[in-house]
Amino acid sequence: MLTLPAFEWVEPRTLDELLAHLAAHAPESLIVAGGTDAVPNLKHRLHEPRYVVHIERVRELDFIRDEAEGLELGPLVTLTRIASDPRVRRDFPSLAKAAGLVAGPQLRNMGTLGGNLCLDTRCTYYNQTLFWREALGFCLKKSGTVCHVVPSGRRCVAAHSSDTAPVLISLGAEVEIASAGARGARRTVTVDEFFVADGVHNNVLGPGDVVTRVRIPARACGLRAGYQKLRPREAIDFPMLSVAFAARVSGGICQEARLVVSAIAAKPRTIGGVDTVVAGRPLDAAGGRALSVLAYKQCHPLISVPYDQDYRRDMVPVYVRRAVAEAGAAP
Amino acid sequence: MEAVPNTLCRLRVNGDVHVCAVAPNTTLLEALRYGLGLTGSKQGCDKGDCGACTVVADGAARLACISFALAYHDGPEITTIEGVAKDGRLHPLQDALDLTGGAQCGFCTPGILMSAWALLERNTRPSRDEIARALSGNLCRCTGYTKIFEAVELAARMMRERGAVTAESRDR
Amino acid sequence: MSESPKPPGMEIPADRMMPGADRLTPPAWPSGRASSPNPEFRVIGKRNRKVEGLAKVTGRAVYADDITLPRMLHAKLKRSIHAHARIRSIDASEALAMPGVHAVITGKDLPAYYGIIPWTEDEQALCETKTRYVGDAVAAVAADSEYLAEEALNKVRVEYEPLPAVMDIDTALAHPEWKVNEKAREGNVSKHVHLEFGDVEATLAASDAVIECEYWYEGSTHTPIEPHCAVAEFDATGLLTVWSSTQVAHYLHRDLAKVLGLPTQRVRVIQPVVGGAFGGKSEPFSLEFCAAKLSMITGRPVKILYTREEVFYAHRGRHPMRLRYRTGVRRDGTLTGVDARIAIDGGAYSSFGLVTTYYSGQLLTAPYRMQAYRFDSTRVFTNKPCCGPKRGHGSVQPRFAFECQIDKLAEAIGIDPIELRRRNALGEHTRTVNGMRVTSNGFLECLDRAERASEWKRKFRRLPYGRGVGVAGSMYISGTNYCIYPNEMPQSGVQLKLDRSGRATVFCGCSDIGQGVDSVLAYIVAEELGLELRDIRVVAADTDLTPVDLGSYSSRETFMVGNACLDAARKLRLLVAGALAERWGCDPGAITLAGGVAASTREPERHCMSVKEAFQIAESRHGTLGSVGWYQSPKLGGDYRGGTIGASPAYSFTAHVVEVACDVDTGRVNVEKIWIAHDCGRALNPVTVEGQMEGSAYMGFAEALFEEQLFKPAAAGHGPGLHHGPSLLDYRIPTSLDTPELESLIVESVDPEGPYGAKEAGEGPLHPSVPAIANAIYDAIGVRCDRLPFSPPRVLALLRATDARAQWERSRAQGAIALAGGASPC
Repeated sequence: MLTLPAFEWVEPRTLDELLAHLAAHAPESLIVAGGTDAVPNLKHRLHEPRYVVHIERVRELDFIRDEAEGLELGPLVTLTRIASDPRVRRDFPSLAKAAGLVAGPQLRNMGTLGGNLCLDTRCTYYNQTLFWREALGFCLKKSGTVCHVVPSGRRCVAAHSSDTAPVLISLGAEVEIASAGARGARRTVTVDEFFVADGVHNNVLGPGDVVTRVRIPARACGLRAGYQKLRPREAIDFPMLSVAFAARVSGGICQEARLVVSAIAAKPRTIGGVDTVVAGRPLDAAGGRALSVLAYKQCHPLISVPYDQDYRRDMVPVYVRRAVAEAGAAP
Repeated sequence: MEAVPNTLCRLRVNGDVHVCAVAPNTTLLEALRYGLGLTGSKQGCDKGDCGACTVVADGAARLACISFALAYHDGPEITTIEGVAKDGRLHPLQDALDLTGGAQCGFCTPGILMSAWALLERNTRPSRDEIARALSGNLCRCTGYTKIFEAVELAARMMRERGAVTAESRDR
Repeated sequence: MSESPKPPGMEIPADRMMPGADRLTPPAWPSGRASSPNPEFRVIGKRNRKVEGLAKVTGRAVYADDITLPRMLHAKLKRSIHAHARIRSIDASEALAMPGVHAVITGKDLPAYYGIIPWTEDEQALCETKTRYVGDAVAAVAADSEYLAEEALNKVRVEYEPLPAVMDIDTALAHPEWKVNEKAREGNVSKHVHLEFGDVEATLAASDAVIECEYWYEGSTHTPIEPHCAVAEFDATGLLTVWSSTQVAHYLHRDLAKVLGLPTQRVRVIQPVVGGAFGGKSEPFSLEFCAAKLSMITGRPVKILYTREEVFYAHRGRHPMRLRYRTGVRRDGTLTGVDARIAIDGGAYSSFGLVTTYYSGQLLTAPYRMQAYRFDSTRVFTNKPCCGPKRGHGSVQPRFAFECQIDKLAEAIGIDPIELRRRNALGEHTRTVNGMRVTSNGFLECLDRAERASEWKRKFRRLPYGRGVGVAGSMYISGTNYCIYPNEMPQSGVQLKLDRSGRATVFCGCSDIGQGVDSVLAYIVAEELGLELRDIRVVAADTDLTPVDLGSYSSRETFMVGNACLDAARKLRLLVAGALAERWGCDPGAITLAGGVAASTREPERHCMSVKEAFQIAESRHGTLGSVGWYQSPKLGGDYRGGTIGASPAYSFTAHVVEVACDVDTGRVNVEKIWIAHDCGRALNPVTVEGQMEGSAYMGFAEALFEEQLFKPAAAGHGPGLHHGPSLLDYRIPTSLDTPELESLIVESVDPEGPYGAKEAGEGPLHPSVPAIANAIYDAIGVRCDRLPFSPPRVLALLRATDARAQWERSRAQGAIALAGGASPC
């Protein structure tokens, strides 16, 4: 058995209760919803919190609401529900697809949107047992001083591994955060701004912060979108590379677009200069090729994920072309 | 920190209510296997990679090895492999897996069966692709999956024909 | 005896037929061994359930970790964090002082060496003076719970002195002074075998084409879904009982007694239901010795369950092999000479390595005739988890290389690869070039069936770019008469009892690891004695209760256990039929026992009764009914050192055709379907035989495309020897969405020595899948995958490195490539 470390169990029933606990104990607490990321990491002794704060019974955080400003999803919505919800499938099919590609069926039934957004970054030197990491001599991200991916480096390069995040960025989605430290005050950032380029902790959440809502703006309805995921097997595996693309097309001509390449760094990479390439042109194979060249120049995968790094970089243009083709073929 | 079994855990499993005391760092799989003696759910990897510990709650297949026991305290009804047969009569999936040879070493079988059970509870006419997807979180090393697919299709047929059973199971 | 039809024009030339003296004498049963004693088969050959099937599908089957005993303690092993290191000191005082910790043992508590092969006993349950790979065990702690045991483990302080580590074959050979394993006679060489049959150089010189290539077969591991687990109880009477997820209760029994210093009479090994093994549980492991020793010390039962990570360290999986082949062919398609030079990476210990080294050459000489054959194989020690037998032990790697060579030879002379295999088929009742006796042989039918079912002629070299088909053949042993430890005792024994309640109980030491051998016992007893399957109880693999069977390895179970059971069952059948014949005044040969009914064929209405009554009559006539049956394979093999290794009483034969679709943008190979044609002699139960065929093909497919057991080299910041990813997330086996369609085509050549003609089906069908996939990739996109696995990055790199499209077009052209006199490199 891979044993869990010992901890105290905290189970709030409301958001207020959750924030109250965090106000007092945030630095010693680990928030867990479905547990599909947190529990294996706990078994690997990557976290040894004093409190595990189990939030699945905070039912007010589980909702899908059609509001005027857009579709609002609570952090506790399961990935299975996102993949199958008729509103998501109709208005944001690339999000339904991405959610439906996470891991395997059991993990999607347990895993949540909030959990997928807040996924810990991953690395072959980090996601291992305590024994293995002791044999390694630990690493920069946890208990050590050396990054084994870039030995001369001072920054952790563990990779972002969420499937929903790059899609949400491509759709211009926003995250609302409640802060226990500011007595529950809310702030909103774009999903892009939610992530930072830091392999140790790759989002803006501080101690006591809780994701309370994800909103996909109404103007994202009707975007032509695609999501392509590269992984060794057709199930279970984390992405080795993923590409999310969304474009506003009217009268057959592209107005604007977003292209996000992920699983290659701690922060999903929004490719720059996309509008310059596609605006005013049809969304076709030539456009796909042009975008693939642009993306290739801006992407440098590293060996944090257990898969050939040169290969993954070479797949960037292939998967960009496929994501664009998928978007172009969307009804 | 000490791991002391000092927290009440009331689990609803297979139609029964079980009360036990657990330390918070007890997974649902440990509680089922070692606490309640329900050893049908298996430990293949203990961190969510293989599906051998699959149980069903709220109609959805879940992995017991990465679930907290306390998350199910006064929680939804859990169905394990031991709870699939009703009133001593085999579920068509069980009969079918035995008949088609879908169980070789049998270690993945409880997990596979629970994932298939969850599928058939909501869809009695699954395509082979839907079956493969529903089972894609359950690793099998023995069968190459072929006879497992045949078993699920056979069970679906039996369920559509209102639970007709084979001659052999009729004689039990 | 039914014969499978031979394709026309395939008579075996007279000089290939076995001389009469070598032919077997069939057993002294009136109806022979191959057919039912009744007019027709009632159980054998039917699609039956397995005896333990319902227990498995209801979650009631008891595996080792399902066992809990009163006052049971949990133990865990402390493992080395260095690839190679001397142990300077171990301080367990802090661990022992913890409440709930009951005992700590180290190497000095279990100093006796053991090893599955008596000539290479080089392992200790816990390393005493040095550790040889990251994960090698050095101490064990028993505590009230696993959590406590783990906490205690972290308090056991081990001081190591790291040593230079040997991480690959070339370093092992270049640095004999960095000695991994002190039991090695010279340097880091584990075993070297050089055998030559005929004049290889002469035959190659007389060839019209010679192909020389190097292949690399990556290491892989078994990943049974059930990790190793052992429970040990040393009771107040001094009897040690060990329940273990093992394939070899008998060998474990012997080694437990030896290492623990107990008389064998005071040790009992029980194999519970086992959740897969594939060769990864066919020798004793640290956990069994440590659980036993800790139980002896504490007086309480002790359980050890390996984590999945520890299963990767226990390993005993597929040896990485570097294989260089030179093979020749004449214009008319006759294979000439074969020369093989093989380097084998054995990991830190010997395990079955002696056998592996022989198998790497000895098992190549069928299904094709070779005029001359030579192999030179060297196994070396390295500082990595020890390699051992994984399904198809030692022969999967050479078979991959050789079947790719055949494809290349076929192209060189412009012959269809199936046709080339046909022309060189060995045939039945003959000897191989290295002296192995081949009896039944359904290989030609396997080729025919696979060719037809796959529509090969329509597809080969005819599909659009990106799609292709490939073929490969193979053979495998049905057990061998090579004794793991030298002795003249039977390899398998069965005891059978019948009683007046109308049922039978079969006792046998055999090891069911999911393949269905427990059920084989039941099918045979049911066929011979006319019982329903559910009226037969099978008691297996308990060394107190069951006669010795050597275990589940080398695909010996159905053949040897089946024969022993047939022996026992026929003896009782004679008694029952004899008692009835007396009563009915007829000939015992006129009695049938089938479907629960005993009857005379002459007057079936007047003379019939239930088998239950028949048993009572027999018991009244003969006394308490019981019999013993056993099997010992005949002395076989070539008359030279090592000539028995690979000698089998019967060989199975297999042919695969594989169809693939390759994505040239990503290098991804999608194996769409594998047609598996396998000669198993007779399918005692087609369901379980198909299961073995499909499971084997799945495992070969997985090795071809997904699996690699890799270790990180030293880097700035860490030493060498870390396993790349010891989990089922990082070490990937195919899911239900990755696995191709598998179609099983059973061929029955009805072996003269197998039980009802049956031969193996558990390992043979793995072999051709790997080369057939490689050959299909070449047909599809014109690249030769000579290195495993055929992962997308590797295939893409090959596409870019070679002018693959042009190569593909050339191979599509009808004309043969010009034949060179000398060797063509790849």
